[in-house]
Formats: sequence, C-alpha cells, structure tokens
Amino acid sequence: MPKLHLRRFPTVAVLALVLLALSACGGDYPNSTFSHHTELNDGAVFLWDRMMLLGTIVFVVVEVVLVYTIFKFRRREGGPAPRQIQGNAALEITWTVIPALILVFLAVPTVRTIFESQRKAPDGAVQIEVIGHQWWWEFRYPQYGIVTANELYLPIGRTANFSLRTRDVLHSFWIPQMGGKRDLIANKTNYLWFTPKADLTSSAWNGACVEYCGSSHANMRFRAFTVTPAEFDKWVAHQKTAAAGSPAAMPAPDTSTKGAAKVPVKMAGMPGMPGMTATATPAPAPEAWVFPLEKMKAFTLPSTPLPATRFDDALLAAGDPKAGREIVTNVAKAPCLTCHNIKGETQYLNDDQAKGPNLTHFGTRHTFAAGLFRTDARTLALWIKNAPLMKPGSIMPTFGTGEYNALMKQKVTAGGLDDKQIADVVAYLLSLK
Amino acid sequence: MATTTAAPASAPVHDASPGQTGLWSWVTTVDHKRIGVLYLYTALFYLLVGGLEAALIRTQLARPNLSVVSAETYNQLFTMHGTTMVFLVVMPLSAAFFNYLIPLQIGARDVAFPRLNAFSYWVYALGGLFITLPIFFGVAPNGGWFGYAPLSGPTYSGGFNMDFWVLGLQILGISSLAAAFNFITTIINLRAPGMTLMRMPMFTWMSFVVQFLVILAFPVITAALFFLQFDRFFGTNFYQVQAGGDPLLWQHLFWVFGHPEVYILILPAFGLVSEVLPTHSRKPLFGYNVMAYSGIMIGFLGFGVWAHHMFAVGMGPVADSIFSMATMLIGLPTGVKIFNWIATMYGGSLRFPTSMKFAIGLIAMFTIGGISGVMHSSPPSNMQQTDTYFVVAHFHYVLYGGAMMGIFSGIYHYFPKITGRLMNETLGSWQFWLNFIGLNLTFFPMHFSGMLGMPRRIYTYDAGQGWDLFNLMSTAGTYMLVVAGLIFAFNFFRSRKVGALAGNDPWGAPTLEWSIPSPPPDYNFAQIPEVTSRYPMWDLKSPERTAGLEHSHADAAAITEAHAVPIHEETERRTAAELGIPMPFNTIKPFMVALGIIVMFSGMIVLHAGKFPLAMAMMIGGGAFLVGSLYAWLTSPLE
Repeated sequence: MPKLHLRRFPTVAVLALVLLALSACGGDYPNSTFSHHTELNDGAVFLWDRMMLLGTIVFVVVEVVLVYTIFKFRRREGGPAPRQIQGNAALEITWTVIPALILVFLAVPTVRTIFESQRKAPDGAVQIEVIGHQWWWEFRYPQYGIVTANELYLPIGRTANFSLRTRDVLHSFWIPQMGGKRDLIANKTNYLWFTPKADLTSSAWNGACVEYCGSSHANMRFRAFTVTPAEFDKWVAHQKTAAAGSPAAMPAPDTSTKGAAKVPVKMAGMPGMPGMTATATPAPAPEAWVFPLEKMKAFTLPSTPLPATRFDDALLAAGDPKAGREIVTNVAKAPCLTCHNIKGETQYLNDDQAKGPNLTHFGTRHTFAAGLFRTDARTLALWIKNAPLMKPGSIMPTFGTGEYNALMKQKVTAGGLDDKQIADVVAYLLSLK
Repeated sequence: MATTTAAPASAPVHDASPGQTGLWSWVTTVDHKRIGVLYLYTALFYLLVGGLEAALIRTQLARPNLSVVSAETYNQLFTMHGTTMVFLVVMPLSAAFFNYLIPLQIGARDVAFPRLNAFSYWVYALGGLFITLPIFFGVAPNGGWFGYAPLSGPTYSGGFNMDFWVLGLQILGISSLAAAFNFITTIINLRAPGMTLMRMPMFTWMSFVVQFLVILAFPVITAALFFLQFDRFFGTNFYQVQAGGDPLLWQHLFWVFGHPEVYILILPAFGLVSEVLPTHSRKPLFGYNVMAYSGIMIGFLGFGVWAHHMFAVGMGPVADSIFSMATMLIGLPTGVKIFNWIATMYGGSLRFPTSMKFAIGLIAMFTIGGISGVMHSSPPSNMQQTDTYFVVAHFHYVLYGGAMMGIFSGIYHYFPKITGRLMNETLGSWQFWLNFIGLNLTFFPMHFSGMLGMPRRIYTYDAGQGWDLFNLMSTAGTYMLVVAGLIFAFNFFRSRKVGALAGNDPWGAPTLEWSIPSPPPDYNFAQIPEVTSRYPMWDLKSPERTAGLEHSHADAAAITEAHAVPIHEETERRTAAELGIPMPFNTIKPFMVALGIIVMFSGMIVLHAGKFPLAMAMMIGGGAFLVGSLYAWLTSPLE
C-alpha cells in the first residue's frame, strides 16, 4: 500500500493544488488583496507577483528534484551500493549563491517601494483621523469638522492621508482592496496614505480590524465608500450640519446658511472640487447625500444573526421621534449623551472623551455597531434593548427592562426602557439623517 | 515547610535498573532516558489537548456566523492552542529527544546534572498544568500567545486569565533555561574520547545550537514578562498606556524572544531528519560541515530579524528595510539545508519506512513554509499579509509541516531504541498519508483565505466574503489530522506491547546510540566507546561507507579495531553494580523544589483574588519549602 501511495502522491498533490488555484481564480472575492485600486496596493501587488514567480520556480525545482530522487533512487534488491559522497563544495556554493542572487531581485524593489510608500503624503490630501476603540471605529475629517463612525467616505482621485490613533488597546486599520494595513498604537500616531484611483466608480468596500483587540475583535469591522469628488462634497456639506431636531438645527434657514457659507472658503484650496461654490452658496440646509444603499453589493451588507430577543413590530411603526429625542437628550431619562455626542444637542463630553460613536447623522449610516448590523428599526431596537447580547463585551449598556446584562451579570430592573420608549428612541435615531 | 526531609537521603537501594517500575520510581528518577520518556508522554498528552483546541477552533469556523463556542471561549481556545503547541508540545517533544538522545549520541552515561534534569521536567509538567487547567473553568488566558500589551495588562484584562499566562510562562521559562544549561554542559564536557565537535551527530549539533538560543532568548521574555507581571500585580507602568507606558516595548522584547523561539522549535526537527535521511539512504549526510554551520548561522541571524513581525507598527522606512533584508538573508542557510538533504538522498539507496516518509514530508512541506516566509520579508507586500490567514498558513507549514513532521519522523525512528520494539509500519503509513493530506487540506487553503482578506484571530466571519469554501476545507483537513493523531496514538501504545523486537540497530544507522541494546541499560554504555569518525557504527558494520571520511587513524584496517564499540546484543545484560559503574541515586527533591515554585506562583493568583494572608502564606511557605528542598538536594550525595 505505501508503494501505491508514493507513486500517486505527486499527481494527487499537483492536481489538488491546481484545483485549488483554479477555484480561487473563478469565484467572487470581494476582499481580495490583489487589486489595483490604489498606488499603495500597486506596489504590494508588484512585489507579490515577483515573489510568487520566484517562489514558484524555487518550489517547482525543489519538489521536482525531490520527487525524482525518491523514485530514481529507491532501493532495489541486489542493486549496487550507493556511492558514498560526503559533500561537494562547488555544488554547495552554487546553491547558496543562486538563492542569494534571487533575493537581490526581491530586495531592490522592496527597499524602493518601502521608501516610496512611506514618504510624505502629497499636498491636497483629505486628512482623516482614524481612532480605534474597543470595538468600533471613529473617523474624523478635521478639515471639515466632521466626526463620524464606522463608515468612511473617500473621494476618488484624491489622496486620503490617515493619521491613526487608538483610545485603548492596539488595533489595525485595513481595507484589503485599498492596500496594506497599519497598526493603531497607544501613545503613538501612525500614518498611512493612498489614493483611490481616478478610474474607480462609486463603490463600497469592507474594512476590518486586524490586530487582536479582545472579545469582539472579530466584530470590529467598517465600510469604506469611494465616491466621486462631487458626491464627496455633497456628503461633507451635509455631515457638518447639526443633527436634525436639535436646537441648533431648529431655526433651519439661519444657522444652516451660516454653516454652509463657510464651506467654499475652506474648500477653496482643495483640488478636484469644481462647482463647490456654486452648489453651496445661498443654500438652505444642504440636501442629505449618502452612498446609495442600492449600490452596496451583498458582501458589504452584514448578515450577522440576530438574537431571539422579542420586540413588537407594531410599536416600531408607531415610534415617535420627538418623544425619542426627549429620552436620548435627557440624561435624567437615559444616559445616552454621557457616551455619545450629537452635534447641536447639549454636549457633556468633548470628542476625545466620548466613549461611543458620534450619533449626529446616525440615520445616514447603512450599518451600525462597527459594521455588524444593517441599520433598520427592528435591529436597532434589539440593539438598544440588549447590546452586549449582540456584540460580546460591548460597553453599550443593556437598556431593555427585564433583560439580562451580560456585562454587569444581572437583570436590568430599575432605570431601563420599556419597548414603547425604545421604539421612540429608534424612531429618533433613524430620523438623524 | 516541615517536610523537607520527606525523602531519605539514601534512597532504598533501588539500583536504578530498567526493570524498575512503579509510580514512585518515575517521580524520583534521575535517569536521562526515563526523563526523556516522561517528557515524551507529557508532551503527547498536551498535544492531544492542543489538538482538541484546534478542532474546536476549526469547527467554529467551518461556516460563517456559527456559534459553536462563544467569542470569549474562542479567544481562550486560540490563545491556549498557540501557547500549548509552542511551550507544552513542540519544545518538550524536542526536549524528550534532547534527554534521550544527546547522552547516547555522544557516548555519555547521563547528562551533566541528572537531578537538575529531573527538576526541569517537573517544572515543565507542573507548569503545564498551571497554564492548562484554567480552561476547564473558563478562565484560561485570552490575550493571544503573543500577549500584546496593553490588552494583556490589568486595565483591559482584569480577570485571572492573563495571570495564568504570565505566571505560567515564567514557570516554563525556568524549566527551559535549566535544561539548556544542562545540555550545553553535557555536550561540552561529556563527549566520549574522540568525539570531537565536528564528529557529533547532526541532531546533537542542532540541539547544541538550540540550547544557546534558549539561554539567549529566554531571559528576554523573562524580562518582558516581569514587566507585565509587575504591571498586573504591583501597579507599575511599563506597558500601562494611560500612564505613558509603551506597548511597543513589549512587542520588541517579545519578538526578540519570539523569533529565535521559531528556530528553537524547528532546529531539533532538522536535527532528527538529518539522522533519518542518511540512515535510510545508506549515504553519509551531504555537506556535514555546511549543515552544522548553517544551523549556527540560522541561530545568529535568528536574533536579527525579530521586527519582521512588526512591519505594520510603523517603524519607519530604514528599520523596515534593514529587517526586511536580514529576513531574506536567513532564507539562505535554511535553503542550503533543504538542498543538502536532497543531495543526501540523491544517488543513495532509499528505503521508506514511516520515519523516512515523515523526513521527506518535512523537506517537501517546510519548503512551502520557507518560501512563504521569504514572501513575508518584503514589507510593502507583508502589509497585505500580516495578521491574515496567510500568516497562519505560513507558520503551520513551518511548525506542522516542519517541526511536527520531523518529530514524528524522530518518534518512528527512535521508538525501537526507547521501547525495544518497532512501531507498526502499515499504521504508520496510514498516519503519514492522512497527516500529509490533512495538513495540506487544512493549511493550503489558508493562503487563499488570507490573501482574499480574512483576518486572523476572529471567532466568526460574515457570509458572502469569499472565504466559505476555504474555511470548510480547512475544517475538513483538521478532522483528518485528528484521525491521523488517533491512529498514531493507537499505533504507539499497541506497538509498545506487541511490536516486533528491534534489537540494537534495526535501521543500520551510523551513530553510537545504535551500538547499545534497546532499550538501553541505565548506564547506557558498559564501556565508554572511543570514537574515531562521524559514523562509528558504519565504520564497524560497513566500513566501505566511511572509507572516504577523515578518521583518527590513518590505517583503514585499524578503524574497525579501534572502534571497540561494544555491541551489547549478544552479551548478557548486567547491572550497573555488577559492572562497577556508579549510578546517581533516585531522589524526590527536584520534584519538591519544582512543587515549591508552583506553590509560590499560585500564591500570586490568590493575591489577585484579594486573599492577602493566604497569598503570603503560600508564597512564603512555598519559598521556604523550595529553599529547604534545595538545601537537602544540594547536601545529599549524587551517587
């Protein structure tokens, strides 16, 4: 039996590898790292291709010689005794020098690419601060005064210059299709930049945390949207406004005009924004623009299973945003604003103290809880009712009265919200367009 | 405290013969062979534990969005799988071979410090329990085997979990360090006459290199762990980021240890196949000198590449370039080993018992791990690979395809020496092929899932990400590996009882350990041999093979004569006492010292639980017990 197997081994192995490689080429791989969407990944893929080529040559040579040796020199009864060779200096030098030469062909482009990818970001880049939290992503656009979470907008054709920090443990920022990752290190700011290429269409991508960061490391995901410069401008103009229903947003024409009036000034120096002045000058509240849900491919829409928590759908339909706002913005009723900021509402914490995502335009986000769930009324209601049940380790409290809080290891008795109140809160949050 | 005199100074005249049985004889043994066997059994037990952890991990990841285990349990499982396989399985399996083989290969009667050797084992065995048992109570370490700060610190891991990890690794470090000093002393001082360094069997050479790696690398992790331990227990700020601590300090220290650790894991396996391949090729090892030097070279370079684990932390382009090129460089001595092994087989007369199959398996599979290793060395590309399943694929080809294949090869090769019986070849063949196919089915698809965007250390993943098929394949492969493991266990235990009798030298092997009976008598060599070449047994049995080698005696005819390697096969087995060979006494004291250490460290856990008086009692009591036992040990005669 062993003989039979030995003969079959190379065929089987090669066949299996070929099958695997084929299966990898044919399918749909939405998070593939072999993309050419940014110059950063061009460098990585170029090096990969070269290593793959050299590596395959080495692999094939070694395995072919090995397999040949196994078959050619198997022991035969009565065969001659093998020649006793102790070594061969010339041969050994050869197979030291050849790999060394191969490595030169790898080392030179490697060093070149290292220095290219780590030089200063080009001028005119959109600055984005990425702040890691256990277990969600905060994104800030300091040029525009925007603070958002878990959904990242990147203008096509313009360099995105990320500065990466963490509020707690280490994380790592990665959008596989856009290029390599970079760690978020406590007490240190890291940098990473890349330019989504001009030929990209408006599209959605997945991103993830790739440095183990505790219980819900697997649940620390995010979405990135590459959008046209015009779309980006519209998104920016809207995102910088105050939250719907907030006192700041109430006397609608006045404040928002003021807010919008600043836009062209700040934007003036930025490349790739023609028409900015025209759209933004005399406007009332800018029209909300978000990446259209229809354009999000299936792989960017989470299908995380929901818990068996009960919720009456009829209540959701009757949810009252005004009543919801009363609950959310009143810390005597619910402590929402002791962790979350909502622009335009009373602020208890500055942005660097806030423990939860900024909710100003929550309703414009397609996903929540670090990309774990789709933003719909029912899921959101379950989340508010018992978040730690849906995302292990989450410090978002369990609000549903009678629910078991896994973090505090007790049932919520006092201070919780009933389903009616939760439905109102949901209606309010979804109204934060 | 008062029991330091438990063991009578002169153990009841058990003259430590192989026939000696009973639990007490195992607890008190100082015979390097029996300690080797203890290491072997203990490590195989932990292999079972670590393997079951892997099976659970893969079951959870078989399909997207499964909840076979909770997030918390999963995190404990992957942490313990890594910790177990590195510290409780591969290192101790290597230690089993160090113990059993080094004295036999260099022609010695025991290691330099037999009682220290027993101590190393007991610290390992008890320390292993210390770090393994918590998983049965849901408080196992959960910060990854790499324990990155600040996640492993008190702020983000406030429970007992990481206490067990920090303290457990400290305990295991004691074991490794004590053993390393022991083996270095043994190899330098106890070689038989004529056994020059350049005549040592290649396994002993690789073991020699490994011991230096241990004594240079383990102090670094010890320092790193002390910082963490002080952060956790006594409020220091080495890694406490809120107080300005530096999480990168941990990473640098950990990987200055962690990368040489990789070579600590793989070099003994390299050594084992370097014994198996020449034996079954009927040819001397090709390029012996280069094989020894490349081992040393790997050891040296292994200390200069640690930061390639950290290309994503932002070290800047200069550091990235330097560590990148150093990493590429280490591919050279490793490649030379592969080529020399193949050249050893080339032109030989090959026979394929299971040990040879596994040895060839190592060459074939380690090559894959080696090539993907070079692929990591290029930082811009590495930034797409690091912390994805591609890395998981890489190091499993190195550690399973390399280290474990080599160790299985070694077990099949040396089982007859250890037990006197051969393992079953049919079952061995089944095990090999299931292992070979299972390993590729498990780990090859991980290259794909990784490069297609799947991060490591995630307890679940969403559907539709393009990873489903690869994960299912990996899981199926893992179950094959479990079956292979069960076949091995069956074969191992069955062959002990009913395997064919082996005799002194079942394989026609070249080195000294095959000149003595199987299993060897407690004194190993009735008469210490004099060695005149690298392959004394071939000198004796088939001198034509070694005719081209340099010998101590120019006259070829004199070689056989001079090699009065006593062949014990025909002679009747005699006891050490009859031969007048002084043997070390069995003693319980090393076990007691180890126990004292465990009690002391357990006191730290109690301290964390807030029971201060009990903690103090345990630490002071354990310390006193330790010192008392050590005093009794040092003042009692060795033999």
